[in-house]
This record gives sequence, structure tokens and C-alpha cells, in this order.
Amino acid sequence: MMPLQRDKDGNPINDLALAQEAWMLTWQQMLNAGERMVKSNGFLGKVKNEDVAIAETPSEVVFEIDKVRLSRYKPLTKVRTDIPPMIICYGLFGRQTMIDLQEDRSLVRNLLMEGIDLYVVDWGNPTRADQFLNFDDYVERYLGSCVEHVYEASGNKPVNVFGICEGGTFASMLAALKPELFAALALAITPIDFHGDQENFWQGEGFLNSWIGNLTKDDIDLVIDTHGMLSGEMTGAIFSSLTPIASMTKYNIGLAKMEGNEPMMLNFLRMEKWIADRPDHPGEAARQWLNDLYRENLLVKGEFELCGEKLDLKNITCPVLNIYAEQDHIIPVSCSKALSKFVPKKNYEEIGFPGGHVGVFVSRKAQGVVAGGLVNWLQEKQGKSKVQAKKQTSKKA
Amino acid sequence: MVDKDKSEGGMDQMFEIWEKGQDAFFKAQAEAMETFNKSFENMPDFSNKMKMDGAFPSWDGFIKTWVPDWDPNIFSNQSGEFANQFTKSGNSFLALLEPANWTKYAPEQLRVILQSIADGPKFADLATPQHEAAETWRETLDYTRAASDMGKVMQDAWIRTYGRFNKDHSIEDFKASDPESAMAGWLSAANHELLETQRSQEYMDAQRRMIRSSTEIKARQKDLAEAWSEMYQMPTRTEVDDLIKTVHELRRELRKVKREVASLKALK
Repeated sequence: MMPLQRDKDGNPINDLALAQEAWMLTWQQMLNAGERMVKSNGFLGKVKNEDVAIAETPSEVVFEIDKVRLSRYKPLTKVRTDIPPMIICYGLFGRQTMIDLQEDRSLVRNLLMEGIDLYVVDWGNPTRADQFLNFDDYVERYLGSCVEHVYEASGNKPVNVFGICEGGTFASMLAALKPELFAALALAITPIDFHGDQENFWQGEGFLNSWIGNLTKDDIDLVIDTHGMLSGEMTGAIFSSLTPIASMTKYNIGLAKMEGNEPMMLNFLRMEKWIADRPDHPGEAARQWLNDLYRENLLVKGEFELCGEKLDLKNITCPVLNIYAEQDHIIPVSCSKALSKFVPKKNYEEIGFPGGHVGVFVSRKAQGVVAGGLVNWLQEKQGKSKVQAKKQTSKKA
Repeated sequence: MVDKDKSEGGMDQMFEIWEKGQDAFFKAQAEAMETFNKSFENMPDFSNKMKMDGAFPSWDGFIKTWVPDWDPNIFSNQSGEFANQFTKSGNSFLALLEPANWTKYAPEQLRVILQSIADGPKFADLATPQHEAAETWRETLDYTRAASDMGKVMQDAWIRTYGRFNKDHSIEDFKASDPESAMAGWLSAANHELLETQRSQEYMDAQRRMIRSSTEIKARQKDLAEAWSEMYQMPTRTEVDDLIKTVHELRRELRKVKREVASLKALK
């Protein structure tokens, strides 16, 4: 333990020294709970990386373009619906494996169990050779090609697209660019207005918006020009800094609290595996994301250019379901809900989930809310032969 | 986020590359050095035949070409041995490139001087390495200062954390019967203060300066790596990037043409 900094009378010398002492005592307190920590450490000693499996639901690649792959999931049930096929599109800041983290926490499985014909986009691992890929490429060329593939495979019938986080922004843009391809658009934790209602942010909300807003265009250009890519390491560190104490204590106090509980430890390790697998973001697309969207907020101003033309979100003609997380510390609620200003009321619905950004998909209570809410909404909008969507849909195959 | 250790390791490598680059440059630019020596008669010969007696006055005069107010005494006054070492050292030019020899004595004045050199007029065949050294040095100073500012912001945050914790708890609570409550109180206070600090303009400005200065250093490393690549007849990063960009634009054009052909076929 670090020696206490005290004056000649034995009193702590200042608040900073006391703060250091409090931390030391906190660690000591954690060590005092040694038995709990030993149990967790014991489990960590036994488990192998291969034991921590994620994204195991069977699928096959049905379409490829450059590094982008579109996989179609194999049915898990004989139940079939009249709902058009659904394509799930995640963002580039993490990997789509988050929606199939484990058997009982899997949006993919929950949708398959409802009989949905499901496709998922995998953006691959962009390298510096991909640094010039921009929104034209990701929205029109890559996502557009994936959607067109399923559209054609379905007999030239519009399809459903479910966009998550940055993938939701891509999906919204494509829905405005090529509305004829869309039967419905579902979004989750998706930024549309990148400034949001800053005056009413709660503590911890919207830090990313303020932080990026404090950078100049020149700062961002310097980072992109120098590195070529926005590294996954850098974005991961920024995301960790959004929850400072949780990040500082997860490997010590957090692990001790689990007391070696196997299901809890495996859940934790699966999340860790997903977090660690953070790809680099292509530089030009990152430049647009940070400068044009986060800083300049061009999308809601109708000034964001895609394929040489200004994009108007009012071109979205299909029904829209917008799912947001009420305690989202990454995408403020007001940033997501802004889409309601662009879509006619008759076509627009929202579901507010009482949880955080990733919790929408991985928390146990989220399993029924997101998949159930989504399927019910699709049935209402598109289903002819009704299939009962269940509120608790976490099932094993 | 910046890894300080990695950055420092990077600086070592950077200066090693720089040193090798300097050697190769001077060997290859014999004629340029003759011109250089004629222009600044008292300047040291930067080849292996260094004229050490005149090194400091010549360098001093060289700096004053850009910065008339340059005062080397600030270093000798504060560092004692520094000017002496600089004058007598057998490696005086390389000593100039070692920020550790300088930065601690008068960082503000040094930064102004370096910026002045970096912003000064540039010659086609003269003193380019000195310009670049000045910019590198200024960037290193900026990073050091940014890291220090960030440390101060975080230090203040921890002081406030203790103040908040101390409203309901004390250090002694950790040693009393309910230490878990004290720990929870401490973590809650820390979380609150760190989140508040993150929202402050002071924190965001400090982070911005950290990002800016560390990226400038990275960009300088990139320049040096490119110089190294050129020296050994290897393709530079910029050349590879240019090729990638060309391929990317060609593919985009090809896609556009394919679409146009498809739509024309559909019309027939």
C-alpha cells in the first residue's frame, strides 16, 4: 500500500493526498474481500478463450461485396410469417456480434424464433487500404447492394431494414435515398440530430456530442490525415472514458463482486470479447461522421450530401419504428427522437427502453422488449396471417 | 487517448531516425553544405569534422537570424552547466535535437523561439532540417504542456472528489465497522465528480490540446518515416495512400458506368 502523505503531526497534508488514500483504502477493501476475489480469479484461471463463444447462431454468407458480407440465418423454428425479410445493419464502431452475444441474450435468435427471415450485414475488418471509403460507399454501395440483393431474392419486393446505432443512420439515409426498397425501417439507439437537446442533458448524457463539438474541423482533419483511420483502440478508449468509475473498477471490484459465479463471469467475458473486437473506422467516413454530422449536424439541416446530392429525410415513405434507450450515455434520447420531425405521424412509432446503450440488446429484461416490440409492430404493419409475438422471447433453439 | 510511455518510446525512435537521416543528408548534400558554410562562415561544419570552438557563437548567430531577442543566458543562468556543455560537447548539434536538454529550463520562451523559427522564411536548399527540428521541438513542448494541463484538471477533480466524499464520510470510515459503505461512498463521489469534470470546458479544452499535440507528434513521426523510406528507395506511406485513392476512385467510376450501362440496357 502507498504510504500516507501526512504532515509532521501525522495529519494528511491535503485533499489530494486524502483522495489518494481513499483510493488505496478502496483497493484494500477490495482485497479484504479476498475470498470473493479468489473465487473469481479461480474461474478465470480455468476458463479458456475458446470457452467464451459469441455469435454462434448458424448462418451462411449469401452475398459479398469487397469486405462486406451479408449472412442469412438458418431458421430455428417451423413458424413462418408473411413479414418481408429483415436485414440488420450495425455500425462501424463495434461489431454486429453484439446482437447474438449468447443463446439467451440474442436479438437474432429471438427474431428467428418468431419466424423472421433474417439477414445481417458484417462490414468486415477495414484496414488502411479502406481509408477512403465514405458514406457514399457504406450507404449506397454496400448497404444498398445488400438490400438490393434481398429485394431481388424476394421477387423484387421491398424489405425491412433494422439499423442499429451508426448502422441506423446508414439505414435512414438509404431509406431516404431509395425508399422503393423499404417495406419498413426500424432503428435502435440511432443518432439523427447530432446536437440534441443539450440544455437538458442529464449528468453523463451527451458527453460525446459536447466533446466532439469542442474539437475544430482542423483537429479532426489532422487526426484522420495522420492516422488514415480512426482506430478501434482510440474509439474504445473514448467509450470507456464515458463511464469512468465503471471502467476503473470492472477488473477488480467488479470481478470480486461476481464471486466466481460462472454464468455471471461468462456473461462478463462475452461482453469483454465483444468490446475487444472493435474494428478501425475508415478515415473518410469517420471524417464525415465527426465533422459533417457531429460537428455541423448537416443531416437534420438537409445539407448532408450523399452520392452528390443533398439528402432529405422527408423522402422516407415507409413505416418507421424508433427504439431508444432512456439511459443511453452515448446517443442521447433527443438525438434519436429527432427523426419524428421528418416522418409523417401515421408512419412513425417509438419504443423507449428503460436501459442503457448496449443494454437495449444484451440485458435480460431487454430480450422481450426489443424483439417482441419489433415483431408486434411488423405484424401490425405487414402481417397477414398473424403469428403471436411473445413478450418473453428468449428461447433456446 | 494517449499512451505516454508509448509516445516517449516513439520519441526515442523518432530521434534515432532523425539522427540517421541527418547523417545521410549531410553526406549526400556535400555541395549544399559548402554553400551553407559560405553563407554562415562561423557556423560549425556539421560533417564529421566539427569545429567545436565556434559552435555556440555560430549557432547563437544562426538563431538570431530569426529571433533577434534570443537570449541564451536564460539557459546558462538556470541550467548552470548547460551552455558550457553545449559549447564543449563533441556532439553539440545532436544535443540541440534532444528536448530533454532544453525544455525544463524555459519552456515558454523556448516555445516562442521555436515557433518563430518554424514560421520563418524557408530556403530551398538551406536549413530545412533546422526548421523541422524547431517544429518537432515545439510539438514536443506542446505535448508536455498539454499533458501537464490535463494532469492538473484531473488532480483538481480528485481534490473535489475528496471534498464530496468528506461531506458524508471520512477516511476513518474505511477502517471502521462498515468499510463497504465507505467504499461505495467513495466510488459514488468519484463517479459524480469525474462526470462533472468531463462536462467542464476546462477538461474538454485540455483533452483537445492533448489530442492535437500528440497527433502532431505522430504526424512528425510519419514525415520522418517517409524520409527514411525515400532514403532507402522504398515506397512511402503517401505514395501507397495515393495509389489506394486512385484505385478507390476508379472503382467508383466503374460502378457508375456499370449502372449507366444497365439502365441503358433496360431502356432497350
